[in-house]
Amino acid sequence: MASARSDRRISADHIPVKLVIAGPFGVGKTTIVGALSEIEPLNTEEVLTQAGTLVDDLTGVNEKTTTTTAIDFGRLTLPGVVLYLFGAPGQTRFQVLWDELVRGALGVLVLADTRRIDDSFAVLDLVENAGIRYAVAVNHFPDSPQYPPEALRQALDLDPRTPLLVCDARDPASARASLIALVEHIRELVLS
Amino acid sequence: MTSGRQRRRVVPDYMAAARLSVPEHISVERTTLVSIAADADAGGLDPPASHLLALLRDEPLSVYECAAHLGLPYCVVRLLVAGLVGNGTLLTRDPPPSDLPDIEILELVLSGLRAL
Ligand SMILES: Nc1nc2c(ncn2[C@@H]2O[C@H](COP(=O)(O)OP(=O)(O)OP(=O)(O)O)[C@@H](O)[C@H]2O)c(=O)[nH]1
Ligand SMILES: [Mg+2]
Repeated sequence: MASARSDRRISADHIPVKLVIAGPFGVGKTTIVGALSEIEPLNTEEVLTQAGTLVDDLTGVNEKTTTTTAIDFGRLTLPGVVLYLFGAPGQTRFQVLWDELVRGALGVLVLADTRRIDDSFAVLDLVENAGIRYAVAVNHFPDSPQYPPEALRQALDLDPRTPLLVCDARDPASARASLIALVEHIRELVLS
Repeated sequence: MTSGRQRRRVVPDYMAAARLSVPEHISVERTTLVSIAADADAGGLDPPASHLLALLRDEPLSVYECAAHLGLPYCVVRLLVAGLVGNGTLLTRDPPPSDLPDIEILELVLSGLRAL
């Protein structure tokens, strides 16, 4: 991490690229951002009003009407581009935050957990409503049931072209392979 | 952000402290890359603007990182950056529009990730 810092200097010419990693509670979002990030990941709280609107102005905000949600943020500097990774909660009550995070994002990596497949539906609804390109990575836990890919696809109602991967969110190589699959998919969609 | 009701524009304390005005239109967002303009006049800036400049002297940073390092809310730093762009101190680079991604950028991301 730190040793690579010198050849990972960001210049004003670097193109910022935003990627979102979304998934239900406890699926491994914080873990995968940590595995990918070259900086100590930032965990910040976003302030939302109870009505679900994002606070863009702190003047006059009554504390009692606000709630916070954790966002993970990581960075990966590559030649010419700097990737900014956001780990975002996939609950529909965070719709407004979600809209802001995916605006301008190149794509979304949706993390799923085969122990709780249903929990991923809300996330998939959010990405599909946002019309953003995505891939699905199943984060494998020791007690995860194994399903054939076709059964998973069917359960998640995925388009045949949408990549469905298995990853270990703790392993940087596996996490990178998931991002590569996502970006290859986006390239294919753009070229087709 | 739409608030449903018309909000009277007040100049927040941190903008007043930095003697900056709030721009009307702000494109700055979390992943906007912020750097110091070559001809920036860094003198005479009050905190928190001078803290922000000290932070950026090392290398450009995203607005989100600036906020985290300054210990200020993102929504505050976003306005601060916009104010400092307005007076010529800072330069920004927004992420390219994502509706039709640039194939060259996609290739850069792919080759960069594969080379890691
Ligand atoms: N075995 C295994 N454990 C994992 C994996 N990924 C994450 N974990 C563990 O699962 C737990 C939850 O992971 P987090 O990364 O905190 O999940 P999260 O999505 O950020 O959770 P919330 O922020 O609470 O929604 C942690 O204890 C991780 O160490 C994985 O690929 N395999
Ligand atoms: Mg987390």
